Amino acid sequence: MTEFAAYTIIGLSLGGIFSLAALGIVLIYRTTGVLNFAHGAMGMFSTFVAWQVFYGVSHPFWPAWLATLLAVIAGLTFAAVMGLVLELAVFRWVRTREPVVKAVITIGVLLALQSAASLIWKNNQYHLPLYLAPQTATIQVADVPIGANYIVIVVAALGLAFGLGAFLRYTSFGRAMRAVSDSPTSASLWGVPVNRVSAVSWMLGSLVAALAGILITPFINFDTTSLTLLIIDALAAALIGGLVSLPLTVLGGFLLGLLETYPTIWIQSLGFPRLVSLLVILVVLIVRNPRGFAVAAK
Amino acid sequence: MTSRLAFRILLALVAFAVLARIPVGFDVGFKFDAALAVIWAFGLLSLVLLTGYVGQISLCQATFAGVGAYGAGMMVSSLHADYAVAVIAGVAAAFVLGVLVGLPALRLRGITLAIVTLGIALVFERYVFQDHAFEWFTGGSGGWRIDHATLFGLQMDSSTHLMGAYVVLLGLFLAVALLMVNLHDSGAGRRFRAIRDSEVAATTMGVNLTRYKLLAFGMSAAIAGLGGAFYPLVAGSVSPQPFWLFTSLQFAAIAVLMGVRYVPAAALGGVFMAVVPDVLTRFGHGTFMGHAYEISYDWFQIAVGVLLIVQLIVLPDGVWGDLRSRAARIWSAAAFLGARRVKVA
Amino acid sequence: MTMLRVRNLTVRFGGIVALDDVSLDLNRGEILGLIGPNGAGKTTLFNCLSGVIRPDRGSVYFETHSLTYAPPHVRAGHGIARTFQNLQLWGSMTVEENLMVPMDALGRRNTFSDALYLPFSSYAEQASAERARAILHVLDLSRYRNTLAGDLPAGIQRRVEIARALAMRPKLLLLDEPAAGLDAQETSRLAELLHAVRDRFHVSMLLVDHDMSLVMRVCDYVYVLDFGKLLARGRPDAIRSDPKVIAAYLGEESKNLPGAVETLAAPARHEPPLLEVKGLAAGYGGLEVIRDVELSVRRGEVVACIGPNGAGKTTTLRAISGMIRARRGHISEDTLRLVSVAAGHEVDITDAFELFPKLRERRRQQVGTLSGGEQQMVALARAILSQPTLVMIDEMSQGLAPTVVRRLFETIRLFREQGIAVLLVEQFVESALDVADRAYVFEHGTIGMSGAAAELRRNRKLVAGSYLGSAADAPAMVAANGNGHRPDPALMEVVSVRVPPKLKRALEQRAESEGRPAGAVVVDLLEKVDQQ
Repeated sequence: MTEFAAYTIIGLSLGGIFSLAALGIVLIYRTTGVLNFAHGAMGMFSTFVAWQVFYGVSHPFWPAWLATLLAVIAGLTFAAVMGLVLELAVFRWVRTREPVVKAVITIGVLLALQSAASLIWKNNQYHLPLYLAPQTATIQVADVPIGANYIVIVVAALGLAFGLGAFLRYTSFGRAMRAVSDSPTSASLWGVPVNRVSAVSWMLGSLVAALAGILITPFINFDTTSLTLLIIDALAAALIGGLVSLPLTVLGGFLLGLLETYPTIWIQSLGFPRLVSLLVILVVLIVRNPRGFAVAAK
Repeated sequence: MTSRLAFRILLALVAFAVLARIPVGFDVGFKFDAALAVIWAFGLLSLVLLTGYVGQISLCQATFAGVGAYGAGMMVSSLHADYAVAVIAGVAAAFVLGVLVGLPALRLRGITLAIVTLGIALVFERYVFQDHAFEWFTGGSGGWRIDHATLFGLQMDSSTHLMGAYVVLLGLFLAVALLMVNLHDSGAGRRFRAIRDSEVAATTMGVNLTRYKLLAFGMSAAIAGLGGAFYPLVAGSVSPQPFWLFTSLQFAAIAVLMGVRYVPAAALGGVFMAVVPDVLTRFGHGTFMGHAYEISYDWFQIAVGVLLIVQLIVLPDGVWGDLRSRAARIWSAAAFLGARRVKVA
Repeated sequence: MTMLRVRNLTVRFGGIVALDDVSLDLNRGEILGLIGPNGAGKTTLFNCLSGVIRPDRGSVYFETHSLTYAPPHVRAGHGIARTFQNLQLWGSMTVEENLMVPMDALGRRNTFSDALYLPFSSYAEQASAERARAILHVLDLSRYRNTLAGDLPAGIQRRVEIARALAMRPKLLLLDEPAAGLDAQETSRLAELLHAVRDRFHVSMLLVDHDMSLVMRVCDYVYVLDFGKLLARGRPDAIRSDPKVIAAYLGEESKNLPGAVETLAAPARHEPPLLEVKGLAAGYGGLEVIRDVELSVRRGEVVACIGPNGAGKTTTLRAISGMIRARRGHISEDTLRLVSVAAGHEVDITDAFELFPKLRERRRQQVGTLSGGEQQMVALARAILSQPTLVMIDEMSQGLAPTVVRRLFETIRLFREQGIAVLLVEQFVESALDVADRAYVFEHGTIGMSGAAAELRRNRKLVAGSYLGSAADAPAMVAANGNGHRPDPALMEVVSVRVPPKLKRALEQRAESEGRPAGAVVVDLLEKVDQQ
């Protein structure tokens, strides 16, 4: 029973990461129409910037919390700037192109970021993870000890989901973002600042991706490719939310986390979770699109 | 129509005669590059059919090539079959997988199809090609070596076989490329392009979507698999690494970069993909103003990514497409000037 | 003899019943009209008949076959062809290729023999090409044979859609709004064409259109749909006088309000205009579509832009609103601020619901799932809510039912009463002149005539449509597609090319002596250059 509980906790925190990554994808997709395949790579790059600050820049005599704080701030700042730069330099110029073209551009971004990171930080090399909460701190629930880092993830995922949801629903800038997501041309004619909206979406999306990347380091083989490939789980979660709904996306993330974790009780395989996420994607796409191509043809 | 066909055949023969000689004077490394260039060109050609003609997105073309490689390698190393048989087996395996991947494509399109094929590529890279559950077939993450093989009874081991493999590959590539060019203007090609431009119109005008989409996926996978099936022969081993997700992504990126609608762009892309990184790593080191530098493979992939972004913004039709339309413009301008001169005279 | 028998067809999308128990019979050789307000389910019915969607209940029989669940290509094989309201030509293929696809999809052709140019395929290929040429000739499309379909103006694309459907040798042709975007003269030519097609190709037709002049003239029998239900059916003249149909769809005959213009308090002439455009030029790619456009709109004034298809009206609007960049000319500074209406303005929404009662029923629905007409209403409602000083409206009546169109024009009157200026681009010249104070008549990318609406209305030639010629036939479509960039076909209406004045004069003289539009002469010349 405790084993099952332990797996549940791992699954939930993994799900929290997926939710976070997926939130960024949904946010960017809704407001700019770009399905960002480079989302994992962007998170990865920012995470390595944070890692560099933590292990390379900060002084060993600094207290751990200060080094961590500095690292996180550096990573998130870098993420926001990177999102802004990508929007200004690339995606602003392709706003009117078909969604598929924009998606292919993000593949270019993915390739470039991935290689740049592996050039700087060397691929296939073990990197020490970053811990937001002290590594050994645990909280006892019933008779199951839960690591503080797990709790941080779940809280961050839920908090961000509600925060973003409220932001989109209740602030005028959030409404502007939703208007842009429906029709950029008519939104611009109605005076919505389309440029600002998409810049902010890219910054926010990149920021959330970086947060997901920083949070996940203790749980995975922390190198450049695994973080880049987080994209597939994030996309699966985003598809559960139909690339639109934030609550469903978060729910999908947690569900996917559990689905990928439970089989590892019986199947010791690094690759099997990938099969789970592919199956989830297929099932979701076919269930969500029952009339087949008639709906897509519109 | 037939005169155009004759012209194309002639062009292919000339290309064969010229290209088959190019690697002759070079070292083993370049001969390997030449053979690899054709293998990658097959992968890109498979995208010309699938994306350029039929408009279906795929991010798992390297997986098809990998299945071709594993299928052929298996036939050679466990059954000691002739390599020709092995290639047929590899292509057949790739075709079957292609049709299976085509099944979700009956319902999906565009971005969602990209997500599904990305998932498939990842499942094959991380699970099928590496997991111990399939080790009996794939040899696990290390793959296995192929020490000797025979093609039509011809011994192909040591390093001399590279030229032979290259010539066979080149001949096959030109033949398939010729078929692809013909296909574009033929009835079947029109049906494919109709699916690309408007699926709903194609199906209401009598095109059987199920049949043609599955056919496109199967044919495309078979073309990628044909190149992949020669990989064990050329490299002397099979391993998951050449067929991982990033190769698939590179296929997509370079195919689009070169011009996904044009057959010659695939050849151009194959050379680019095989030769440029090797040249970079060979000559890209030394000292510059007192600093030692070394250009690694990563620089190549960075360049691919950046070039793809720039190309999609400024040359939507790809490098080959742009060259083509420039040539056409110069041609028509010349024709116009020529016509004026006639009038003046 | 009944050819198509539809029984109790029901389709639901989520909670909305798009088709409710509809039955319909069509006899061989008949042209059947299908009319009804926007959102009545006409296109859904078409999609069910062509197999694009499956009904939840009901059945479709064609001749002796049950086709309820047959996939689209099987129906095509039985001889049901259709056209699409939102133009679904294969844009990157030539017109001839567009026609050949349905032809050889029906014959048993083999992919591999095609790619190898085996004799069997070559023979079939030649036969198809010849038939394609014959059909293009009948529909007067021969000159576009080798043009990419996506480069053609919308009006011609509609004709190619019909040609492509005919290429299938259909027994039944489903036409979805073939007259959308056509002016009065083009529509009457379409009516002749449809009769000719029936007589020459022996095709029965099911026709959806909002243009009552077309439906009344062409159809033998008319079905009226409303809210997914069958409202009435009968001969055209009976339908025209059916009170139920009048209430739901046709509306009362419009009473001209000649007084409207005079009763308007004359806007202060000395006040600087709200919008002033001088020497405006704009275009797409290598083409200049409009040039030297000068117009102004004063506070609280309704100004109409009328003119033939492709004369540059919509482009002018796009340039003013900043959707495309103006190449030359001046748009008064004020405008930019006027167009960018503050977003998120809180205004009483009941005004809008009063105007459009139907919106009240649908207020919880996502806008994207509304029908075309309903979306148009939402757009106008939003315009009112944001209390602008100037509203620009582009072709608002296209594809809308007569009652809706009438209500929309009434809205414009309401705009004026509230002191909101309106710049209106409209195909329905008469209705536009009814509501407008002034109008600009566009010709070949520039303004040919302007004046008070009342005065222009007295110009009978203008209103009857004969003056507004047939620009759709003047396909100056020499799109510079060198960089492979294909402009949005919707943007590519007929355009005029900028040529040196000397050449232009020569062209105009020649066009005059031959009695053809100048654009046609240009195309001929270009084709000759191509051939040399």
